[in-house]
Amino acid sequence: MSQKSLHLRLGIVASLFALFLVLYAIPTFVFAPSNVGNIILSPKFWPYVLAGLTAIIGVALLFNALTAASDVPFEDEETVHPEGSTPWMRLGALAVIMVLVMFGLPRLGMVWTAMLAFAACAFLFRTRHPIAALVCAVIVPLLLYAFFAHVAGVAIPQGNFVRLP
Amino acid sequence: MSLMDSLAAGFSLVGNFEAFFMLFIGLVVGVVAGAIPGLSATMAVALTLPFTFSMTPINAILLLLGVYKGGIFGGSIPAILIKTPGTPASSATILDGHPMAERGEAGRALGMALYASCTADAVSNLALILFAGWLASFALNFGPPEFFALILFSLTIIAGVSGESLLRGALSALAGLLLATIGLDLVYGTNRFTFGDPNMMGGLNFIAVLIGLFAIPEIIAMAWNPVAHLGRTRALGKSRCSFADYAKSFKSIIRGSMIGVFLGSIPGIGAAPSAFLSYSEARRTSKNKANFGKGEIEGVAASEAGNNGVAGATLIPLLALGVPGDVITAIIIGAFMVHGLQPGPMMFVLNVDIIYGLFIGLIVSSVFLLVVGSVAIRGFKFVADGPKRILMPGVLVLCIYGVFAVNNNIFDVGVMFVMGWVGYIMMRNRIPAAPFLIAFILGPLLEDNFRQSMLMSGSDPSILFRGPITWFFWVLTAITVFAITRSTLRKRVPLS
Repeated sequence: MSQKSLHLRLGIVASLFALFLVLYAIPTFVFAPSNVGNIILSPKFWPYVLAGLTAIIGVALLFNALTAASDVPFEDEETVHPEGSTPWMRLGALAVIMVLVMFGLPRLGMVWTAMLAFAACAFLFRTRHPIAALVCAVIVPLLLYAFFAHVAGVAIPQGNFVRLP
Repeated sequence: MSLMDSLAAGFSLVGNFEAFFMLFIGLVVGVVAGAIPGLSATMAVALTLPFTFSMTPINAILLLLGVYKGGIFGGSIPAILIKTPGTPASSATILDGHPMAERGEAGRALGMALYASCTADAVSNLALILFAGWLASFALNFGPPEFFALILFSLTIIAGVSGESLLRGALSALAGLLLATIGLDLVYGTNRFTFGDPNMMGGLNFIAVLIGLFAIPEIIAMAWNPVAHLGRTRALGKSRCSFADYAKSFKSIIRGSMIGVFLGSIPGIGAAPSAFLSYSEARRTSKNKANFGKGEIEGVAASEAGNNGVAGATLIPLLALGVPGDVITAIIIGAFMVHGLQPGPMMFVLNVDIIYGLFIGLIVSSVFLLVVGSVAIRGFKFVADGPKRILMPGVLVLCIYGVFAVNNNIFDVGVMFVMGWVGYIMMRNRIPAAPFLIAFILGPLLEDNFRQSMLMSGSDPSILFRGPITWFFWVLTAITVFAITRSTLRKRVPLS
């Protein structure tokens, strides 16, 4: 990827996002009391200023991209394809693990969810030490539970099934 | 309160085993984390933060400062041994450090890196002690318009210099400012972007955002390429750094320390530019100019002095003005807030014991760094060879526990995951995360001071230019924008 194409892409996204903020998000999701007479003191003023500045930066990025003379790729651009042919699938799997963690935390409890997440990630990252990974998957969440629950006094979620002391 | 009284108050806080032990542990954690490529000093400080919740404020902040200082030095170890900087600030150390390692002089290079780091750290701490109090007493005269102009200047320079492009940095800062508007309005208490969710009414949790931005993207990056971290570790070799080596490089070390202090005290510049400037100055003035880049020990000394000289100086704007000098001090400002402290000029009045306790701890940290660093150099092989594909899942689990512990709220874990993906997208699109986080912290302050100014003046914007202090910061902001824009335009039009 070159700076020109990156700025073109970012400029389009920033400009569209600014439009979305001004036309939809701020009027819909920012509430101002009806008795505010002066716009400068309104809760909507600051978001509008930021949306305006985002639009200006978006236009500047587009201008920068459209007037750039060269289209040279970044020097440190990743040229070799990552290990295996499925980097996007690994990213997707990690996203699924994160979603499952959110579902698991209130139901299974933090310790058991963390154990499963640890093991799943270690295998997703193709660890060369599967036994060590499984041992760590059990020990690390337990140690963290011991610290946060018994030293820091945090009420770690226990879940609906197995409760720890 | 006299200086002696302040010092005595500081000693009463840190004059115990626990405080110094925390500082020591912090340095160990920082050096180890800095030495592991992929675990930056920033990530180490962010991940240590949740462990400090149950500590006293002084112990908590000493622990984090230890991680910070240890992390900056620790980054030089993989830079020299495997040509991979542990932190961006160590990039300049590679230039001469790795060629020395290839010649079998890694032990000598690492020794010099350690001595230069400790010397620069001591100089930087001294600068902090000398200047922070003076700057704070000056800042006591600041009102909302002055603070508005100061924060605007800080954001401009942070957006401009913390990445490759002013526009991308500004976009990042604006995104941070926008995210900071989520929650109840500061004056009227009405909802802004809360979508009716009570979890969002207090705004997004700072620690969830910062861990999401700085730790989770590294885990996602490992999913993208699980073998990116693999490299070849060089042996230490038999030669060691001698006193003659240190004496020969002393001038460059002191010059680099001064450069670090100067650049570190300006919000946003950070350690990497300081290290490169120190390196280039050393090369320009050295008798061995031709050896630079081929394994010159003075080059290692200069770059390490440059990046460690920043460590104490970045605390000057943090403690005196309440403005973080870089992303790590932005995390440390969060630690102050978690413990009910508000850095800034008033802290020198209300919490002078903590300020002087920190100064004492920082002086001791330079000595501890020497001890921890010497051991770390020898033990690096074990750290570098640790399986990263087990470490990263451990980091994920630590993030989940740490973020939950802030408010006992699972919603914060979700915020962290979302911010992690945002951070990863920013990383892939070369948008720096530092302006985002610093703007997220400074955003409410910026808006609050702006609206207070408008309330004071009856909405007359001329109050923002009301005196020499505001003019000073407006002129600095204009000069910064002009200088960065000019350098950007020069890069676009190559001179023939």
